[in-house]
Amino acid sequence: MMSIIQTRLMHWKKHWISHLFWFLLPILATVCMIQVTNVVQEDSKIPIGMVVKEETGLANALVETMKASPLLRVYELSESEARSRIESHELDSAFIIEDGYEAKILRGSRNRLLTSYQSNLSFAYTPIREMLISYVQQDTGKAKAAHTIINLQESLQPEATVSFDEIIAKTNEIQAQENLLATTFSFYNDAGVETTDGITIWNTWGLWAIFSILSTLLLSDWLMKERSSGLMPRFTFIRFTYKQYVIQNLAVYLTAFLLFDFLSIAVFNQLLDENINFELIGAIISFRILISTGAFLVALLFKNNYLYYGVSFILVLFLIILSGAILPIDGLTARYPWLLDINPLQPLMDQTFWNPWLVVTTALVSSGSQKERN
Amino acid sequence: MLNVQSITKSYGKKQILNQISFSVQPGEIIGLVGENGAGKSTLLNVLATLANPTSGNIFLYEKSYRDTRKEVRKQIGYVPQDIAIWEEFSVEENMVFFEKLSWKSKTKQELRQLCLDMELDKWKEPVKTLSGGMKRKLNMAISLIHNPDLLLLDEPTVGIDLKSKKEIGNHLKNLAIKENKMIMYTSHDMDEISTLCDRIICIGEDPFYKNLLVEANKQIVTF
Repeated sequence: MMSIIQTRLMHWKKHWISHLFWFLLPILATVCMIQVTNVVQEDSKIPIGMVVKEETGLANALVETMKASPLLRVYELSESEARSRIESHELDSAFIIEDGYEAKILRGSRNRLLTSYQSNLSFAYTPIREMLISYVQQDTGKAKAAHTIINLQESLQPEATVSFDEIIAKTNEIQAQENLLATTFSFYNDAGVETTDGITIWNTWGLWAIFSILSTLLLSDWLMKERSSGLMPRFTFIRFTYKQYVIQNLAVYLTAFLLFDFLSIAVFNQLLDENINFELIGAIISFRILISTGAFLVALLFKNNYLYYGVSFILVLFLIILSGAILPIDGLTARYPWLLDINPLQPLMDQTFWNPWLVVTTALVSSGSQKERN
Repeated sequence: MLNVQSITKSYGKKQILNQISFSVQPGEIIGLVGENGAGKSTLLNVLATLANPTSGNIFLYEKSYRDTRKEVRKQIGYVPQDIAIWEEFSVEENMVFFEKLSWKSKTKQELRQLCLDMELDKWKEPVKTLSGGMKRKLNMAISLIHNPDLLLLDEPTVGIDLKSKKEIGNHLKNLAIKENKMIMYTSHDMDEISTLCDRIICIGEDPFYKNLLVEANKQIVTF
């Protein structure tokens, strides 16, 4: 094995730049795509103005809630400034929290709480207005509920001393705990359910998987290059049979790929806040063995480099469309659920080690090496 | 010694080799001649274990090709007609690469000496900058790394200049005389064959080659 590693390193030394590029491609491309998307997403947020005419807790809370929306970029400014920026179409729309906002909310009044401005180019005014109204209704609903509870308390249990503020505080506490508007349900004892802030367009590991397949296929072209170099008769007169030689080289490539995969886990954890756990590591090892053996078998079928590269790109395109790693295929899988079972990328996305395709490719590779040994 | 006993080789219904028997003693150089398609390369491939004979037996130092194929291979050096070297490597890297995969390990000094013995002194030069003659010498040097007893060469001097041809010829003679190696090679160059070889095996029915060989005044075996 040492000889195989040394001879392979001699080849890599000759093409170290291209090899390093292809080994790093899944990390670089995934990080770049996600970062670029985040920047574009940030730039495409709808700019709105918020004018706060009173410094109260509820008014400030409303502004903070709007700022927390992943779809909006909120500017706090004065009314005149908001109007001029709407006229110049720098803002989509502006909303004024009128003086007496908190007092009206606490009274349960919903009239003339907010004033809004829009221009003839305000394409997002209506949904933003609805969004804002829903938050205001949430606050008025809480106040109304608190008043009802106090009334009930006074008539049924006059000795109780629960105040309006305590009820509101408890309501907020329950809201934070239950998060009724965005609750994720899970079965009892299921693994922890992750909730994410903001809108995520890409599935990080799905994106990484696609680039990994591409780089693995393209780096497996050594099989064709070596077979077409007229060196085949030499392999009869070396210590290894040709099959032993290529399978041991496959193992060298697999080890190198796995090293870069572990680097991917570390980089994604640092830059993209991806969690590291044993399930993920197992799924990545399984996926790596699958794509390395798969690319090896595909490369064995070809003699022409360019035809192989063409087929590799088509295969990757096919997986982009049908694997669900990049483009959502929920509609398709709802109609044909068996697609999930035959999808070679599904176990990685589900973060499980078991992948039926792994059995197929490893069996084919090992049967080849067994035949040679016999 | 190499002992070839009544070997035949057919591809489908077409018989290429028919009942060929001969033996080669250590230190002997045998030339293989014949018209194109007569079966020279096929015979060489069978002797190099790259193809199986349809019938017949071959023994190399009492070891049967049929029963101890892998062991026999360790004693064979095969120089293919097409230059089988890494174009992107230097001479040194090519020698080291195949030494790493060889049955016998050699030091860099020994590998370099192997090249120098063949007048190949461009040790650090990239192969792609070498002349055709130099490449042929490297092609041969690689086949000698594991110190084989039987050296089979398929047109080793095709397309190279006279000087390189002569240097390769001299080296083959040295290998036969000093190291007692059995050498068999094919060529279309009758002058080269007649000056270098102790015996000549003519394959095929073409009288042209047979007449040339008679003129060469060598011991001739025809099939």
